[in-house]
Order: sequence, then C-alpha cells, then structure tokens
Amino acid sequence: MRTAQKVLVIDDDEVVGRSFDRVLSEKGYAVSTALDGEEALEKCGSEEYDVVFTDIKMPGMDGLEVTKRIKAKCPWTPVVIITGYGTAENEAKAKVLGVSGFVQKPLTPEMIEGITAKALLEKAEPAAAQEEEMAGEVISRLPEVEEIEGRLKSVARFVKNVALLIAAPFLGLAYAIAFPFIGLGVAIMLGIRAWRQRSRTV
Amino acid sequence: MRRIYVNPLPVRVWHWINATGFVALIVTGLQIRYGGLIGLMSFETAVDLHNWVGFVVIGNYFIWLFFYLFSDKITVYHPELNPRKYYREAFRQIRYYGFGILRGDPNPHHANPYNKFNPLQRMLYQIIMLLIVPIQFVTGLLLWDVTRFAGAVEWLGGVRVVDTVHVLIFIFFAGFLFIHIYLASLGRTPSAHFKAMFTGYEEEEDEAGEDDPGRKSTRGTGGEPGLAP
Ligand code: HEM
Repeated sequence: MRTAQKVLVIDDDEVVGRSFDRVLSEKGYAVSTALDGEEALEKCGSEEYDVVFTDIKMPGMDGLEVTKRIKAKCPWTPVVIITGYGTAENEAKAKVLGVSGFVQKPLTPEMIEGITAKALLEKAEPAAAQEEEMAGEVISRLPEVEEIEGRLKSVARFVKNVALLIAAPFLGLAYAIAFPFIGLGVAIMLGIRAWRQRSRTV
Repeated sequence: MRRIYVNPLPVRVWHWINATGFVALIVTGLQIRYGGLIGLMSFETAVDLHNWVGFVVIGNYFIWLFFYLFSDKITVYHPELNPRKYYREAFRQIRYYGFGILRGDPNPHHANPYNKFNPLQRMLYQIIMLLIVPIQFVTGLLLWDVTRFAGAVEWLGGVRVVDTVHVLIFIFFAGFLFIHIYLASLGRTPSAHFKAMFTGYEEEEDEAGEDDPGRKSTRGTGGEPGLAP
C-alpha cells in the first residue's frame, strides 16, 4: 500500500482543521489537526509530516514561532501560512523563515487542494535557489554523521512512540474517571448561562 | 464514496483469531466456574481447552502488539494529550450516538489510517488492549500453574485475589463483547465495520455536512463562515 501523504493543520479555530480534513481526506491525504503550537510540536515530534499549515495568530505560541521550531527540527518540511490579514511585516518575517507560501482566509476547497499540491510539488523538486543555499551546509557534513543522526532520530521516535503507548491506557482511565465530573460541570455551566439569559430577557 | 484502508492485515488476522479465542474462553470459563449452569463438556475438558486457547490468545496478542510497535500507525493508540480537545470531541461523539444518529446527522469523526478511532473508541480500546487484556493474561498464567508461580501469587495477595481479578475481568469481557458488537453495528450500514474488519477498507460517504466547505461555496459565498477572519 502506498502510504498517504501526511498533512498537519494548526489553527485555534477547529473549523479550519475540519475543513482541511474534509477536503484533503477525500483526496487520499491523512490529515492531523492541532489547536495550538505546543500540540503541533508534540505531533511533529512523534510523526513526520509532508506539509504543515499554520495560522499566525493563536493563543500561546504564534504561527511564526511554530514555523521557526518546525523548520529547526526538519528544514525540509514545507510550511504554509494561513493568514486572516496578511500584513506585509508578517509576510516578510515568514519569508525569512523559509515558508512555502501563504493562503488568505476565507478558504475555498479549491484553494486548500491547490496550495497543498503546490507545497508538495515544491518539496519534491526544491527550487534551485534553495538547493544552492543548502549546499554549503551539506558539504560540511560527513555522511557518517548524517547516518548516526538519522539512526538516533529514529530510535528517539520509537522510544517516544512506545512511551506514549504505555501512557495511553492510564491517561484514558484518568479521562474516563474524570468524565462524569467534567460532564456535570459543563451541564451546570450551560444551565447557569441559559438561566442568566432568561432572567435578562424577562 | 471513498475507501480508506483502516485495518491492515496483521490487525485483521489478530482480531478474528482473538475474537474466536475469546468466545471459546468465555464458554469454557463458564463451564469451569458455573458447571452447575451448563453441561457442554466435563470439567477436565473445559480446563484443558481453556488453557490451550489461552496460550494461543496470548501468543496472538503479540501479532497485534508488534504490528503497532513497528508501524507508524501506532498513533491510533496514542493518547490525546490536550484534555480540552479530548472532552470537546468526546462530548460531540456522545451527542452523535445519543441523539444525532437518530436524526441521521453525519458522524462527527472521520477515520483516517493514523487516527481511525473516535475519542470514545480510542479510550476504550487503549484501556482494554494495554491494561485489561495484559492483566487477564498474567492472572490467567498464574492460575494455570499456581505452584510454579507460588511466589508471584503470594506477592499479589494469594490465589483468592488473583482468581477474583481473573473472574471479574472475565465478566467484564463477557459484557464488553455485547457492547462491542452493538457499537460495531453503528457504522454507515449495520455491516459496514464488520466488512471492514475482513477487507481492511472502510467506506465513507461524501456527505454534505454542516462544516462542508464544498456546500458553502456552491451557495456563492466563496468560502466558509468559520474560516472568515
Ligand atoms: C465475536 C466477537 C467480535 C466481533 C464480531 C468483533 C467485531 C469488531 C469489529 C467489526 C471491529 C471494527 C470496528 C471498530 O473498530 O470498532 C472491531 C475492532 C476491534 N475489536 Fe472486535 N469483535 C469481537 C471480539 C473482540 C474481542 C474479544 C476483543 C478484545 C478483547 C476485540 C477487540 C477489538 C479491538 C481492540 C478493535 C480495534 C482493532 C484495531 O484496529 O486495533 N474484539 N471488532
């Protein structure tokens, strides 16, 4: 089986992630979503993505910071910025970080599909300029060092995956035990909100 | 309609050997513990069968474990580390099972090979496969030869404790089987998930849901309200 191309979408508005999932899953991509930078970096640590989309303005770490960290870890991963209001300053900063492109909200399915295909294409055939830029770096690296680094990385990823697997049932149990309390809390909150609204209109 | 490959071959092989094994273990277990109720076979035959099938099921578990350990699809058994996201999605799924499904709403969860379980399935399968099943294996192994494992049995609090845990989990699994089969029938069609466990492929409708950008753009807004800045 050909493995699906993996896409990560980072946006604090979950509707954006869901739209990407809708559009791209249909085309055979595997879409993961993250609601903030921390979660995104967590995911990037345990899996390698073929293309990353990120919103700029998010609570906590902003999109530029996330891009910087992803680029530091895997410089070859194309990152596309989703902007609501593309200010020139932000675009300039993002260009310095080596992003593959920008998409402006509101998004249409065609835009989502088009920009994904374009970013992946660029990844497959990096522009000559980019290659030149990297050449200096590549020469100074010995192949053995690269191989050891690669092996260390895959060992680290394996250990992390297994650690998460071992943690999974305990975290799942904790979620399950907390479930009724969280449910009750949400119900009370909704109740209070409805009651307030009613007393305001009366 | 699109087809998604969600159940790789090792998982399918493991699952059906496991399911057959569990049914056999439950039947022989009932015969051993509640011989007064059923008389399918003698006590000795039941014990022998229960032991043999038990070892097969334990060995079979490693097919499942090794497949996931060395596959990037291990992510389907990873926990959701963001509790807010977890509960938001879990409540959405509960609302669907308890309410939306009756109105014919689309399933809020969209399976992909790296994230195939909805939050409730994920929690249940994690707890079962990585905690309860291993505990059942260990207690079963200890009870298989209590004299050989006398030290471990003592350390755990004696035969009585080990046996009680084994029987309680046995009752849990007998119940789980019904719930599991019922929930597995809630797919796109009642037999959809069962077929997927044989063929590997899940089919998903391209329905126009509430958050489908395709539907919105045909209305002429050119975008989706949730996406507008
Ligand atoms: C006659 C008995 C059984 C039937 C008909 C059955 C049916 C199914 C079906 C249709 C699925 C796919 C849908 C889904 O993912 O929810 C599934 C998945 C699964 N079942 Fe069962 N099942 C049976 C027994 C069991 C038993 C005894 C266990 C465990 C102790 C079990 C554990 C699982 C797990 C862990 C999955 C997800 C597998 C994965 O993808 O990793 N099942 N089962």
